[in-house]
Amino acid sequence: MKYILMMNTMRAGAGVPAWPKADLQAHIAFMQSLNRDLRDSGELVSAEGLSFPNQARLVRADRHGAPVTDGVFPESKEFLAGFWIIDVDSPERAYAIAARVSAAPGPGGAPLCMPIEVRPVMSAPPPEML
Amino acid sequence: MKYILMMSSTQAGVSSYNTWAQSDRDAVMQTLSVIVKDLVETGEFVATQPLAEPSEAKVVRGEKNGLPVTDGVFPESKEFLLGYWIVDVATPERAYAIAGRISAVPGPGGVPANMAIEVRRFADGPK
Repeated sequence: MKYILMMNTMRAGAGVPAWPKADLQAHIAFMQSLNRDLRDSGELVSAEGLSFPNQARLVRADRHGAPVTDGVFPESKEFLAGFWIIDVDSPERAYAIAARVSAAPGPGGAPLCMPIEVRPVMSAPPPEML
Repeated sequence: MKYILMMSSTQAGVSSYNTWAQSDRDAVMQTLSVIVKDLVETGEFVATQPLAEPSEAKVVRGEKNGLPVTDGVFPESKEFLLGYWIVDVATPERAYAIAGRISAVPGPGGVPANMAIEVRRFADGPK
């Protein structure tokens, strides 16, 4: 079963680069080690980090199909910071991996205990979408 | 440059979509399928993935002992990711143009739905 684990942050999450360098390095090392473990267990499908929310745009088509871009979001908007797609045997295993992500170290090495959204993905796109 | 184009909606939006006529829903899938085919042809296609219904979503936090605590309660205003497209394009403008095409997928009666598509660049950092 494939699941997506989504790490969402408020705009405040953009404060991460201001962490002391050692804390940032510990956080990155934690994520690299997690990704290695998931690759070794054969459960990692893909993992990506997104650029900061200040580069996010909303796009709508106008009546002629031309894109209209907008970079204004409500204060409460949750931005995707990164995601993992994993292929696991049970939802419980997906939750256990999400808990590990959640406990990634923050400033001073304390676990962030971030909320991680876990969603099953459709195992294959419907044929008509390919 | 890799971009992710994200289509999101609230639970209310998903419930409304589920009541559309089958022919209207088929038209959405048909339009998206043509967009993906075009992206494959231009070599800009990386991946696309629809997600299962928001009713199956859970939020997980790690406790101090590392055990997962799951919760399936979301505010009504919560926007759920419905699906995404990852594209590899030469410029942000090209990513916006593709997002514009996705935005214009037909809604009920064939009128463009004009959904807002969030466009985000992937970070270049370590994996």
